[in-house]
Order: sequence, then structure tokens, then C-alpha cells
Amino acid sequence: MKKQRRTTGALITTLAMIFFYLPIVFMVVFSFNSSKSLTHFTGFSIKWYQQMLQSHDMMNSLYITIVIAMLATLISTVVGTLTAIGLSYSKKLTKAYVQQINDLPMMNPDIVTAIGLMLLFITFHIERGFITLLLAHVAFCIPYVMLSVMPKLRQLDPNLADAAMDLGATPFQTLTKVIIPEIIPGILSGAIIAFTMSFDDFIISYFATGNGIKNLSIMVYTMSKRVNPSINAISTLLVLLITVVLILVNVVPIIRKKIQEKREQDPNYEPSPHKHTGRNLLIGALVVTVGLVTLFLRPTSGGQMYAGQTLHIYMPGEYISEEMITTFEEYTGATLVIDNFDSNEQMYIKVANHESFDVLIPSDYMIQRLIGEDLLMPLDQSKVDETIAQLDEQVCNLAYDPQNLYSIPYFWGTVGISYDKEKVSREELEAEGWAIFQDPKFVGDIYLYDSERDQFMTALKSLGYSMNTSDEQQLAEAYTWLETIVKTMKPEIVTDEIIDNMANARKALGLIYSGDATYVSQENEQMGFFLPEEGTNIWVDGMCIPKSATNVELAYEFINYAASYEAQMMNSSYVGYTATNLEAKQELAQGEFEGYESYSFRKGHDLDEVFEYNPDSRKTIADYWSRIKVVASNSN
Amino acid sequence: MKTWRRLTIPYLVWGTVMLLLPMLLIVFYSLIQPGNEVTTFRVTFANFIRFFTDKDFLLILVRSLTIALKTTLICLVIGYPIAYWISRCSARMQNVLIMMITLPMWINMLVRTYAWIGILSEGGPLSVVLGWFGIHTEILYTETAVLIGMVYNFLPYMILQIHTSLTKMDPSLVEAANDLGASPFQTFWRVIFPLSLPGVISGVTLVFLPAISAFFIPKLLGGGSWFLIGNVIENQFITVGEWNFGSAISVIMAMVMMLLMTLVRKADRKGTKGGKA
Repeated sequence: MKKQRRTTGALITTLAMIFFYLPIVFMVVFSFNSSKSLTHFTGFSIKWYQQMLQSHDMMNSLYITIVIAMLATLISTVVGTLTAIGLSYSKKLTKAYVQQINDLPMMNPDIVTAIGLMLLFITFHIERGFITLLLAHVAFCIPYVMLSVMPKLRQLDPNLADAAMDLGATPFQTLTKVIIPEIIPGILSGAIIAFTMSFDDFIISYFATGNGIKNLSIMVYTMSKRVNPSINAISTLLVLLITVVLILVNVVPIIRKKIQEKREQDPNYEPSPHKHTGRNLLIGALVVTVGLVTLFLRPTSGGQMYAGQTLHIYMPGEYISEEMITTFEEYTGATLVIDNFDSNEQMYIKVANHESFDVLIPSDYMIQRLIGEDLLMPLDQSKVDETIAQLDEQVCNLAYDPQNLYSIPYFWGTVGISYDKEKVSREELEAEGWAIFQDPKFVGDIYLYDSERDQFMTALKSLGYSMNTSDEQQLAEAYTWLETIVKTMKPEIVTDEIIDNMANARKALGLIYSGDATYVSQENEQMGFFLPEEGTNIWVDGMCIPKSATNVELAYEFINYAASYEAQMMNSSYVGYTATNLEAKQELAQGEFEGYESYSFRKGHDLDEVFEYNPDSRKTIADYWSRIKVVASNSN
Repeated sequence: MKTWRRLTIPYLVWGTVMLLLPMLLIVFYSLIQPGNEVTTFRVTFANFIRFFTDKDFLLILVRSLTIALKTTLICLVIGYPIAYWISRCSARMQNVLIMMITLPMWINMLVRTYAWIGILSEGGPLSVVLGWFGIHTEILYTETAVLIGMVYNFLPYMILQIHTSLTKMDPSLVEAANDLGASPFQTFWRVIFPLSLPGVISGVTLVFLPAISAFFIPKLLGGGSWFLIGNVIENQFITVGEWNFGSAISVIMAMVMMLLMTLVRKADRKGTKGGKA
């Protein structure tokens, strides 16, 4: 029986090991996949590694992660050790107090610590960025360092320090020559814990950072919605790095010990008093090498007009082509720092809280709101009038910014239904319109888009109302319309995940932006795009300069470039959204995107509208929508 | 060495500002309404009332507790036998195994969770394997996926904690029990398990605590329609911008955690006493 239990134990352990390593192996294998698929290995290729090396975003976040981890480790180890030493000679009350506050980050859920730090920075108007990220990391690392140093201090003979002083050592000498060498193992393990904690952190960093400063975790989190095998490539690189470091740290001491043992057998050998020196030197050398490598990896810029300057852009994710970024950077010599937001609302919160950006790319109604709240700079017309003249006149002079005094259109489009032609017929779509999302035939087979205004648009249009209504009664009806869907249709509420999922025909129907629909149809011919007769939203995303901008000249440079024929050709062809530059749009509509209804969509349909900002209905809709999501999650 | 006491002064200031003050700020924000300033504010419990009078928020709290509990239980049931088996291996084997368990923990959590998306998605390896047994079901974006992600991320903590307490145990106690005629089963339940309880308790804490506040695991593997309390808080801060309500939910979560931890510690004290008696 005992034997049987043994084998069971071995079996479970083996299974657990497979469980632990399966995702890692999977990640490594698929980093060499020749296609974008995460489920089918189509052939060997290193293109994701090339893409990773070319991506500023990824290299920068790797750099930030390593630099922050090293600095946080250094600071927290020094401070933590000194405090621990001081504490071991302090009064009970002080000890108890430090114990209590150190327990806070360790016993509280990370998200609570994270929010506390974010509120701290906001309340005292400290701009979030590299420094706040570092401060936050030091804050949660020190308690762990102290935790591993304290036990070693307790083991020390309390008379040791006095003995050293009696023998004539100064307090400083006693500290550095007597106490610290005794507790070195504790300090080292504290430093290692601090390094891992900082390297791995997501939640606290996510709330404590800003200004385009992203570590690896944040980058993965913001990029994870669309399949991006470069994430696998960068992860594989990390796995390799960590394995090498761990092997060195663990194996080298064993080898050294063996050599030592051999030497000790030698009668002429005199034991060295510093048995850890070798190991410490090795770790030191490793840290320095990694540091140098990261400095080397740090993206550099060339030497033109704006050489060395940076332009901080805040825009939706996956909305700009790498090629366009590189061309702009080469042409100006400046570096683009791009921050992404999930929704206009998320952007608004940061801008309204005075975070500084040079260029924003929000949607129509949000531009109207920003203008109304005096957060945007009026554009110098003499600098942009040539650009405006080249734009499609349909995207100019719309109600949200009547004379384009504040914004230059970047992309535009509609909202429609992406559908699987094998499951849904055009006739059904025409007969039912938006209400097809309530058709029991498609239970569990639909995607909703996690955007309050677009989902409310579908409801209001289906009910025959204007999507800009502020009538309480109509909004309440729209809420019920959506509630019916989440209660009876088992929809999945997604954001950009919809793009890859529809391209793989995972569901029959989904609410989608026209530009994403173009990509989906390009990837998979089976997927169509439909605009209900009941009307839809025509939207425009525009580039504007917030009042908080620090590099206004360069911002104009970017805006004029991004709206130019050359840039729009590159960008529109890469992203799939409709160009605002007339020439580029016409050329693409007759070329690459010929026959795509989602690229050249209908014009002048009576029921199509542009969103307007209305503070009252916004609040109602936001409350309703967070309610819908909660209800949806509870009816699963 | 009274002169060294001064070494603590910088940290007393730092800790107060960076650790204590943030917590006080959360409580402060949870008790005021939007638009209030630090100089002019009115204390109100409206944010808390709003949470507790809303059936849907309460349901999410319950669901978060349930899934954290499930995760903890699964980790305990799987983790204990593994830790036990490892502790019976030779010292060298133990080192290797423990290192193999720690190694994945060095790799970024987000990255490891991201890898599961491919494994769990339709047409991925898991659905292929399940297909061989004639099971065709969607896993990604379900509770199962969230559970897998949580267990994957937190199981190592459980194993390591239990393993440490098992190896610290005096082996002569087990021998004594055997010599005194206890069956292997009795030895385990009467001697080994009670003595490993501190490890179990700290393992449970280390799993439960992050599991209840997790928000990227449900977001990545559960899809947008899988809200846990962590997601509600994130949503309030990042998308809705209602920091006061978000702070109130954080305070509620911290309270629930404290309550549970106190209970667990009480049970621990009782448990170990019972074991000794």
C-alpha cells in the first residue's frame, strides 16, 4: 500500500510538472511559428523575433522592466537592511509600528495597495511616470527585504557589536566589517526576492505609472487583445535569460564547493576567509552585464531637426503602422512615445487629471467634450490649412468641431455587424436589422462590443430613436433592449479580441467597427459586413493637441504628416480603417480594398448620425452599461 | 547600540508616507463624494450603501469569494500530495524538484497566463486532446479557464509553503509514532498533518489573497463577460472614473480579507492546540 501511495505521489508530481511547463513550451514553440495562428504550427520562422526587435514598444518596456527592477532592488536592499539593523536596537513601540506598516502591502490584496499609491500620487499632484513607478516598487520591495534580513539579525550575538566597539572599531566600521558580513545571506536572498517581485509586478505598476512608461507586464496586458506572436518571442527570450541566470547562481556554487573540497584535501591548502566572495563577484558581474546590455539595447535616435526630442501620443491600440512610426522618426529625428487606451472614457480620465500628452486621437463626441471643458488647444490654422484642404470633405466641418478649429481627422468609419456568411443570410440581416442580436437562433453565438455608446446606438436605432437622444424614457427602453440580450442570448462582451475571433469565424455575429471588419474580411472571405437600414453611427477619430502638451511644434509636425497622402496610404493599408486623405482613400478603395463594403461604406443615408456629447445622457448611459456588464456576468 | 536607532528614522517617514498614508487615503476617498476637495468635504456612507443595496454587486462579491475558495481548495488538494511526496525524496532530488517548481515563477505572470489563451482556445491542444475522448466543449472564456489560470499561477506557493513545513518537521516524531504501533494512516492524520498545518495555513493565505483580487486572469481567460471584484474596481478607476465608489469597494474587499484572515488564524491556533493535546 505504501508503494502504491508513492507511485501516486510521483504521478501527481509528474502531471503537475507537465502542467507547469506546458504553457512555457507552448510559448517557445509558437514563437517560431510562421503564421499568426496560436493553435496551428504552420512552419518554422524567426519573423516574430525580428518584429520584436523592431518594435519600440517592446524593447522599451523590456528596458524599463530591467532598469526599474535593478534600481528598486538596489534601493530597497540598502534601505531595508539599514532599517532592519536600526530596528533590532530600537524600542518595542517602533518595532511594532514598522511591523504593522510593513504588513500593509503584504497582507492587503495588490489591487488595494495599487489604488492607494495611485490616489497618493494624484492627491499630491505628482505626475505619474518613471519616478512614481520606481517609488511604488521600492515601497513594496522593502518589507520583503526586511523580512529576510530580520531573522539573520536575531541570530546574531547581541554582544557582537559591543565587542567590536570595545576593541576600538567606530560604529561605521562595526556596521560594515562586523554586522553586515554576518547577515550577508539574508541580504542576498532579500535582494533576490525584491528583484523577482519588481520584475514580475503588474497590478501595482499598472496603477502607479503614466506618461508612456510601461513595463513588460503592462505591455502584455495592453497588447493581449489581439494575437501577437511577438509576445511569445519576447517571453522566450526572457525564459532563456532567467534559466541561464538561475543555472549560474545554482550550479556554480556546487562546482566551487567541489573544487574547494578537493583543495582542502591538499595539505598545503590554506582556507580562504571569504568563502562567498566568488559567488558575490559572479552575481555582481552578472548584474553589471545585464545593465550594460540594457543600456546598449536602449533605443537611440538619429540627428535631424527634432533630434533627441520626444512626442507623446495617446491613442487607441493597434491604430498606427510601425512603418509610419519609423518613417516619421527618421524624418524628424524625434522619438515617438505611444500610449494606448481602451476607450475614450479611459483617455478622458487621464487628460482631465492633467496628465501631459502632446497629441491625442479621441473620437468625435469626446473631442466635443474636451473642447467644452477647455482641455484642447485651438489649432494654428496657418499650420494646418494645407492639410485640411487635402481631406475628404465628408469628414470635415462636422458638428463636434464645426470648422476643424481643434482637430484634424485621422481615420473614420461606421459601426456594423460582422457576420459569418455560412450561418447568417443577408435576407435575415435585412429583415431583422440590429434586432438580429436578439434572435434566439444565435444564442451563445454573438459578440457584443464593450463600448457603451456603440451598444446603446444599436439599441436606440433598433427602437427607431435617435442615438443622440437624452430622453430618459427612450434610454430606459434601450437599457431593457440590451438587458434582454445579456439575459437570454449569452453574448460575450469583448473589445479588440473580436477581431481575431471573427477572423477565425468563432461566432456568427458581432458588433464591429468598419475598419476591423475590413481586416476580418481580408483574413477570412467567409466573413461579411452589414449596415442595418435602421441607421448607424458615422464616427471620426481626430488628432488634437491638449493644453498640457509640452512639444507643440513637433505635434503639428506629426499631425500634418499623419494626414498626408504618403502616411495615410501606409497607415490605412496596414490598419484597415478608412483614410481621411481623399487621394489616399480613393486609391485604396479602387486598389487594395476594392469591393469591401466596410472600407467604402454608404454615403448620405438619412438615419446615419454622428455622435454628439451630452453630459446628462452620458452619465445615464455609463451607469446603465456598467450595470449591463454586471448583469451579464451574473447570468453566465 | 543606541546610535543605530537613528537608522530607522528615514524609513519611519518613508513607510508612513508610502505605505500608511495611501491606505488612509483610500478610506478617506471612500467616505466622500466626487467633487469634494481635501479642504471642503462631507463624510457620507453613500458609497458603501450603494454597494450593499445592489444585488448585482453583492453577487459579484460572492462569486469572487467562491472562485477564490475553489482555487484554494484545488491548490490544497493537489499541492499537499506533491509537497508530501517531494519531502520524502532524497535531498538532492528535493532541490531539483523545488527548483523546477520555482523556475516558472520567475517568468512574468502575465506572459504565462497569456500562453494559456492559445492552449485553451478552440482548435488548441487541449480541445484536440479532449476531442479524442469525444468531448467537444469551449473552455476559453468560461469559469473553467479562469480556474485553470488561477491554479496555474498560485499552486507553486501552496506546494512551497507545505513543503517547507514538512521538511522542518522532526523525523523522529514519525518514527516514534510508527514504533508505538500507529498505522501509516494514523501517523499521517495524527502526527504529520497537524504538524504541517502552519505551512497549510500560510499556503492558503498566499493563494487566497491574490486569487480574490485577481483581475487580469479573469480578463485574459474569462473574456469581458467574466467580472470579479478586482475587475469592478479596475473598471471604476480606469474606465468609469468614479474613484470614490471604487475606493469604497476596495475598503470592502480589504475588510473581507482581514475578517477571513483573522478567522483562519483563529482556526490555526485551535487546530495546532488540538493536535498537541
